[in-house]
Amino acid sequence: MSEIALTRPAETAIAGERSRASKASLVALLLAFAVVFLVPCLGVLYTSLKSDAEIAANGLWAPTGNLTLDNYLQAFSVGSTGRYLLNSVLVTVPATAVSVALGTLAGYAIAVLRPRAGEFIGFVLLAGLFVPPQILLIPLFQGFNATGMYDTLWPMIIVHSGYGISLCTLVMRNFFRSLPIELRAAGLVDGASEPRILASIVLPMTRPALAALATLQFTFIWNDFLYPLVFTRSDTMRTVMVGILQQQGQFSVAYGVQAALAVLASLPTVAIFIAFQKHFIAGLTTGAVKG
Amino acid sequence: MTIRRTWWAWGFLAAPLLAYGITVVWPALYSFAHGFTDWQAVGGGEFVGLEQFRRMTADPSFLRALRNTLIWTVLAVVVPTIAGLALALALNRVTRFAKLIKSIFFLPLALSLVVVGQVWFWIYRPEDGLLNLVLGAVGLESWGHAWLSDPDTALWAVMIAWGWQQVALAMVIFLAGLTSVSRDLTEAAHMDGAGAWARLRAVVLPALRPSFVVVTSLSLINALKSFDIVYVMTGGGPFRQTETLAVLAYRVSFKTYDFGYGSAVSVVLFVVSVVIIGLFFAWNSWKDRHV
Repeated sequence: MSEIALTRPAETAIAGERSRASKASLVALLLAFAVVFLVPCLGVLYTSLKSDAEIAANGLWAPTGNLTLDNYLQAFSVGSTGRYLLNSVLVTVPATAVSVALGTLAGYAIAVLRPRAGEFIGFVLLAGLFVPPQILLIPLFQGFNATGMYDTLWPMIIVHSGYGISLCTLVMRNFFRSLPIELRAAGLVDGASEPRILASIVLPMTRPALAALATLQFTFIWNDFLYPLVFTRSDTMRTVMVGILQQQGQFSVAYGVQAALAVLASLPTVAIFIAFQKHFIAGLTTGAVKG
Repeated sequence: MTIRRTWWAWGFLAAPLLAYGITVVWPALYSFAHGFTDWQAVGGGEFVGLEQFRRMTADPSFLRALRNTLIWTVLAVVVPTIAGLALALALNRVTRFAKLIKSIFFLPLALSLVVVGQVWFWIYRPEDGLLNLVLGAVGLESWGHAWLSDPDTALWAVMIAWGWQQVALAMVIFLAGLTSVSRDLTEAAHMDGAGAWARLRAVVLPALRPSFVVVTSLSLINALKSFDIVYVMTGGGPFRQTETLAVLAYRVSFKTYDFGYGSAVSVVLFVVSVVIIGLFFAWNSWKDRHV
């Protein structure tokens, strides 16, 4: 420590100058790296604005001055894009709501009400995080076939609602553990029932956690590909992620339309990500906290 | 006052447990049981004991898928973790543009693996893919390659795309961890003449250990479940060289409808996941006690 006292002011100034210069070059380096990192995203966007003739003549990545919205119009007029997007909404919104609601109930019961065997139940629910979806496919496929739900939107809604409980319980349990326990005591003193305490005292304070979790679940479910691949067959029941690949078979060289569909399919999650970035990151890191 | 235990806990747990039981516990147990049969989708299937598992030991597809899964898991943990750590350390030092740069690196996490796979498929195209174009432009034309159809490069090429999407997950968790690294301690080390590398090894990395645990467990879980990106980019090809256990389980079950074997493969995937993650947690708690 004594060396600092010996350092003359002029030297500190030089050192400061040097660290500022190295900081500026670090920022420049990171920015350059970030631009390169963005290339794949910009590539899809760019391709979606090129005409198929252009792509056929010059290749996918060649620059051009002629940009057009034709691919987007064609995606809606020729393909079933509208239907795909609608299906994705019809699956994602209810499945997000149900999985978050069920996870909230379970997380609250385990963290706050703490019934006998609560820890064990928590363990069983969290174990689902380690279960690969592949092990669930055959029995669920059989089950959905037997109940007539195969090739409807129900399988995706049901499976995501149930499979999502593990993550939702983990996040909500961790959140409820951090809440002051006096809250519930106050409710009990007032003679409120447990559901009332949860609904009117606890839930209002839970909004940030719910927002983070809903953002996360929405993204996962919207982006899912495996379940609609296995549990649907007809074009009218496909969600948008399966729809994108469907495009490959239908018009083997319609790269522009495919890119337009990829952009449309990414819009909801990217919009949510931009609007709720803070919640999104909070969700990822809270969910990540080992419990 | 003491907070009384309440039967309401079971009321709250009923719906989540029912949904979880139907969509996760029952299917998983069902697959376990049917891994011991010769079930072929139609008809029942007889109990054949360990026959399906014996079949695996002589099945080159299975052995390759097992090997690929292990390679994939190691890479999927190491690559994004190191890149994410480097990014976090760099970002931790800059203030200007930090938010913008973080958002750019974060953006791919909002995208579906289907879209990510699609774009990278275009980047790797042999005739007009971006990678070969860039190599040509800098005079490395001879390095040009059919990246995804060469068995030697296909798995690595898919891995890069995966790393591109996942890197921000590690980055954001390390950034959160870095806020807890004591500034006093790093400054004291600086004063004692510790260079940047020594400070990193002696002060920063040990303090980041909890973040490493979180990043590694998340990466393990994600990597073992990964199916979409392999399916979209190579379909498991060329010549099934890039098939992972998750892809193999899907193909056996829903392309050849060999439900018994498919169940058995998915059981192996589950067991491999549990063993790998279990070993990691065991190693981690051993470390906790010995450091």
